[in-house]
Amino acid sequence: MSAYVVSVLTEGAIFGIMALGLNVIWGWSGDFDLAYYGYVAIGAYMTLVLTIGAPTPPAQYILGLQLPYPLAVVGAIATSMAVGLVVGLIALRHLRGIYFSIVTLGAVYVMYVMAGQYVPLVDGYNGLSGLFDPMGDWFGLDYQSYQYFFLGLSLVCFVLVFLFTARISGSRFGMALRTLREDERAAAAFGRDIYRLKLKGYVLGAGLAGFAGALFAAYLSAFNPSAWSPVEVIVLYSAVLVGGRGNIWGVALGVLIMGMLVQESTRFLPMLPGLGQLNTLHPQVLLALRGVVIGLVLVLFLRFRPQGLLPERRYVDREPVAPASMPAT
Amino acid sequence: MHEALLTLGFGIVTAAILALSAVAFTLEYGVTNVANVSHGEILTVSAYVAYLVHSRTGSAVAAAIGAAVAGGLVALAMYMSVIGPFIRFGASPTVVFIATLGISFMIQNFLVIGFGAENVAYTIDPGAPQHLGPFLLTPLDEQIVISAAAITLGLYVIVSRTKFGKALRAVSQNRELARVTGINATQVAAATFVLAGMIAGYAGFILAESVGTFNPYFGFSFFLITLTASVAGGLGKPFGTVAGAVMVGLILEFAGNYITASYNLAFAFAILAIVILVRPRGLFTNARRTVFE
Repeated sequence: MSAYVVSVLTEGAIFGIMALGLNVIWGWSGDFDLAYYGYVAIGAYMTLVLTIGAPTPPAQYILGLQLPYPLAVVGAIATSMAVGLVVGLIALRHLRGIYFSIVTLGAVYVMYVMAGQYVPLVDGYNGLSGLFDPMGDWFGLDYQSYQYFFLGLSLVCFVLVFLFTARISGSRFGMALRTLREDERAAAAFGRDIYRLKLKGYVLGAGLAGFAGALFAAYLSAFNPSAWSPVEVIVLYSAVLVGGRGNIWGVALGVLIMGMLVQESTRFLPMLPGLGQLNTLHPQVLLALRGVVIGLVLVLFLRFRPQGLLPERRYVDREPVAPASMPAT
Repeated sequence: MHEALLTLGFGIVTAAILALSAVAFTLEYGVTNVANVSHGEILTVSAYVAYLVHSRTGSAVAAAIGAAVAGGLVALAMYMSVIGPFIRFGASPTVVFIATLGISFMIQNFLVIGFGAENVAYTIDPGAPQHLGPFLLTPLDEQIVISAAAITLGLYVIVSRTKFGKALRAVSQNRELARVTGINATQVAAATFVLAGMIAGYAGFILAESVGTFNPYFGFSFFLITLTASVAGGLGKPFGTVAGAVMVGLILEFAGNYITASYNLAFAFAILAIVILVRPRGLFTNARRTVFE
């Protein structure tokens, strides 16, 4: 396996965890949350400040501990969930639809501006760096074999998250979340505590985002405001939508298509005959081309196949209904 | 005190630009009942057109006209290609919100392909600052404020005095009922998008002029502030929106002056979140009728 394939698969696995977390919030609970990528970023930043040690001036950031990587991952998840809880407590109380989206958009821009401008937090625009090959020295891995090790780790994490969300999908909690998506009022009529349920789903999603962020930080070994942008979440939404909102197999398919295929295919465009001049254009052109394709796919799917390629299975009560017997006369 | 007055002067300039953008957004919202997230890209595209026209012809008036025409066309294209069909197809407001976010993403990336992601410097001589009462404004600032006031006034006349304005208000209040009375709601909405797009296009031109640089993401950042002003004023209420824009413009300028301008976006959203949570229908909707109704 070439280094290229390894990196594509690793990114895909991390992207898949993000998409599965987003599916909890948007696919099941039904809220179009724009703050989601903020939780990924918080997970990544948190992992770094917990592992890279005290800052050397002029760099400055909070904490600066040197914890072992797995412990930092736990810290990252917990922080993302805590911030998700605060945002959810405010945004989910009364707001639905676009008002919820607008407030979460606001929340993520506050996070983005704080991370980029308030230097004592995570060193502003410079960001953080210095997390090299976490856990590599435990097993005495060199640079080459570490890439395989990290790919394996990411894939294992993806599979675990997949199994975890599969379990939630069929659980009473997962069903209750879907009920909220379909008809909140009916759920309330059956005695569901809507706010609490939505909040639980939201915090769970934020935690998965934080987990993905923790892996992402280790993969990149650095994180700064130019490594992420709040609108990046559109790529995640396109993956969930194309695959099949609410169906975790669909989400996995969506990640394969939007996260890996579309992402990587634009890279090969210059190799096609006649398109070689693309390489000589602006360096961001290929990335931008990917953005255009993703936006277009998003709009087309919303219009023509909103249920995605692998639609969510509707739950059908298969128990035969006993024919109503005539009352004895 | 003196500094406060100077800040107030700059705040009025910000507010004037913001008011145009926010009124345009709220008109779009009014006739469709969905938020057009790609509104900011009308401003961005217009800024590029204004820049190109200006550098070709050297005339600011031609640039302004070019920006307005481009804005109208872009808005019409948005309505005809996505927003209108989605509404007729029965899509929920959230779905249209997502779709327009997708358009916004597409246009930003198109512009990156065409012009690169770097900042374009759009510097024109603003003229020497002069004292105007207690304020210190450049002739450019004065032109911006006066033209924005004139456009708002013109819009007020169109919306409240013309037959088209009447149809616009009817569609805004109740699309079905308007259609029953023989109004072609699709046509009215398309015309409103052209009107709103022209205003937004002009706003993009003066924003680029007053900031001095722009890039493919410039309209989206400004859209976030526009959204704050529109929601503060009450979505779909043009008159309240102008008041909301003035308020938000002044708050941002004062916060930027006394704290630091880098947090402007965060401030705007803090205001937005508070308004949505406390008075989701806007700050000025206590009055039974807004002037435009």
